[in-house]
Amino acid sequence: MIPLAMIEAGEKVRMMKLGGPEATRRHLADLGFIPGALIQVVSQRDGDVIIKLGDTRLALTKPMAARILVE
Amino acid sequence: MEELHIALAGNPNSGKTTLFNDLSGSNQYVGNWPGVTVEKKEGRLKGKKGIIIQDLPGIYSLSPYSPEEIVSRNYLIEEKPDAIINIVDGTNIERNLYLTTQLLETGIPTVVAINMMDVVRKNGDKIDFAMLEKELGCKVIPMSALKGDSTFAVADAAIAAAQNVKKSEEPHVFGGAVEHALAHIEETIEDKVDRKNLRWFAVKVFERDEKVMEELNLPEEIRAHLEEHIRDCEKEMDDDAESIITNQRYTYIQELVARAIAKNRAKKGLSTSEKIDSVLTNRLLALPIFAGIMFLVYWIAVSTIGGWVTDWTNDTLFGEWIQPWAETMLQNAGASDWSISLVVDGIIGGLAAPLGFVPQMAIVFLLLGFLEDCGYMARVAFIMDRIFRRFGLSGKSFIPFLISSGCGVPAILSTRTIESEKDRRMTMITTTMIPCGAKLPVIALIASFITGAWWVAPLMYFMAITLVVISCIILKKTKAFSGEPVPFVMELPAYHWPTLKGLFLHMWERVWAFIKKAGTILFVCCAVMWFLASFGFSDGSFGLVDETEASLLAQIGKALLFIFAPLGFTWQTVASTLSGFVAKEGLVSTMGVLAGLAEADEYASNEVVAFSAFFASNIAALSYLVFNLFDSPCLAAISTMAKEMGSRRHFWYALLFQNVTAYAVTLMIYQLGGLAAGEVPFSGYTIAALAVLGLLLFLLFRPDPYADGKHELA
Repeated sequence: MIPLAMIEAGEKVRMMKLGGPEATRRHLADLGFIPGALIQVVSQRDGDVIIKLGDTRLALTKPMAARILVE
Repeated sequence: MEELHIALAGNPNSGKTTLFNDLSGSNQYVGNWPGVTVEKKEGRLKGKKGIIIQDLPGIYSLSPYSPEEIVSRNYLIEEKPDAIINIVDGTNIERNLYLTTQLLETGIPTVVAINMMDVVRKNGDKIDFAMLEKELGCKVIPMSALKGDSTFAVADAAIAAAQNVKKSEEPHVFGGAVEHALAHIEETIEDKVDRKNLRWFAVKVFERDEKVMEELNLPEEIRAHLEEHIRDCEKEMDDDAESIITNQRYTYIQELVARAIAKNRAKKGLSTSEKIDSVLTNRLLALPIFAGIMFLVYWIAVSTIGGWVTDWTNDTLFGEWIQPWAETMLQNAGASDWSISLVVDGIIGGLAAPLGFVPQMAIVFLLLGFLEDCGYMARVAFIMDRIFRRFGLSGKSFIPFLISSGCGVPAILSTRTIESEKDRRMTMITTTMIPCGAKLPVIALIASFITGAWWVAPLMYFMAITLVVISCIILKKTKAFSGEPVPFVMELPAYHWPTLKGLFLHMWERVWAFIKKAGTILFVCCAVMWFLASFGFSDGSFGLVDETEASLLAQIGKALLFIFAPLGFTWQTVASTLSGFVAKEGLVSTMGVLAGLAEADEYASNEVVAFSAFFASNIAALSYLVFNLFDSPCLAAISTMAKEMGSRRHFWYALLFQNVTAYAVTLMIYQLGGLAAGEVPFSGYTIAALAVLGLLLFLLFRPDPYADGKHELA
């Protein structure tokens, strides 16, 4: 498992686990970050990423992307 | 007839605001939800009597973690609207239905409106509405809010649902073990809650939702009994209760979507939005493009069109038309000299300055509204976050800082797009440090006083930016603002053209709020300032005075001089500063009055000579300028801040912070700068200034006492 912040643009990964405080995890889960969800990294710049999760495009900065562990 | 309340709920960017505007037109009331800075909008349905539409904030779920979510769920459970219209983005049904399943659990009659059908059709996707209706147990209606298509059919369906007493069947979201536990919970608490909301409460008890548990206040043994059921379920599913619920919801939705929606897989490649984004959020181009767009906004709103309309309103509309007209009117009506002076110079003259900014504000809001509605602002926040995070603000704070160089009032209002309350308050405190349009004359005046000082204006802007950064770093280390800036995760909505109607409603709402303010609070303040400057004791009797030196304002200036003496102020500059608290335009005009100049021609050269009596030295002039640029903003901005802070305590804290900061900085500049320049002798104040400098450096560089090492992921 590695943090989402380290995935290169164009790669597809599977969401495994959420880290960080309870409120953050809850919010991410509400957005659709549930184990097994498919994540496509659209762009990445020093850990800031834009991803596609289902039909949603999301922008995450490094501190957030570092809390999402993927495989 | 009893009024019907219909709540509008949906994800951010689902088109909720567009639908709300379409249904209610201009019959809107905008305020804040009590105690929080979340905007509350209420409207009346067009063409029908007695239907109130309550726009809830855009949310992804009903968990109690963000103020928006708390406000929404309190409204649904406690105020019990008669029906809910749930707007679902048709191009992103899966994520949107997550909230839908939670709304259905509240037991409130719900109508699901599948929005953006025009895009769905264009993509070639097929949605089986009959199946969705059957599975969700509620009416499902295709709609396009942007095109105004079927929006009123949705409203009618919601009214029908509200009037239908028969309770519809709830969707079967949860599986075996969970359903078993939920049934147990329902049985236990059914006498304690409203029967309608039973399912909602049961799920929340299962999730161990703190707020709900507190509210239900169950006896200890019942709690323990329920806890046992929850634990059993957790053991069986090998997960914690909250995750079980989230996962089952998504599993249910994924299965439902797989059956009810046929996606057109033929169309591959990038969508238009993705193509635009590949340029606008490009690694190299993002910042230059952003700078270009912001320059354009600034150029239109401040330098060209905005500047022209402001000048026109101030000089022509008020100066040449309204003021002379009012004066003639009053003279013809036989009004006394002092009452003419009160109305014309005091009230109209005082209100003209802030009202003169209205057209400019309108332009700023129109342009920013466009950037916001088309989807670009979400990208801006993302691009700027990397820079602003360094001193504890989020990327969204950039917009207020930019607007503040024009006027602080719209700047404070524009902080509404910042979600985190802490970040929002911190932005409000610091944003008015950026010199606004009304401060330019005083900068020009002092620059011409210190002969040939071209560097004054750029220095002031540079100081402003430095002060904002320093203030943020210091504030971030206090308890009230401690903590990491909220980690950034934001949806990037598809780009689209905003509707003109939406843009104008958005703009008008904010401009009107400002006009109302000017008409009330400012009105009174102008009258008071005029009174202080025109009345006083002369020859032992109280009345209208000719000599300003005898006015109450001068008396107050002299009485307060001891506070400002360490900054090199004279009683005239103190009086001028006092009027600056009302409006920064008053700084120069009050000095003009005090110098006995009939016409305050802002910064003509004869004033420089006249004002030399007020400033003992160049450093004293500079110190006067610095204090007035960085102290609390004008009254219009202060009262906006009072409303937007959403907390009295934070508001007073902000005012104190702004004035103490201005005082401390000015003290250091006057005492230490003056000593270095040989204009101010060494005294006890020099030591005080050194102490302040030491304290400032300490506050700036001390380790963050509230830092939580765990979050250091960088």
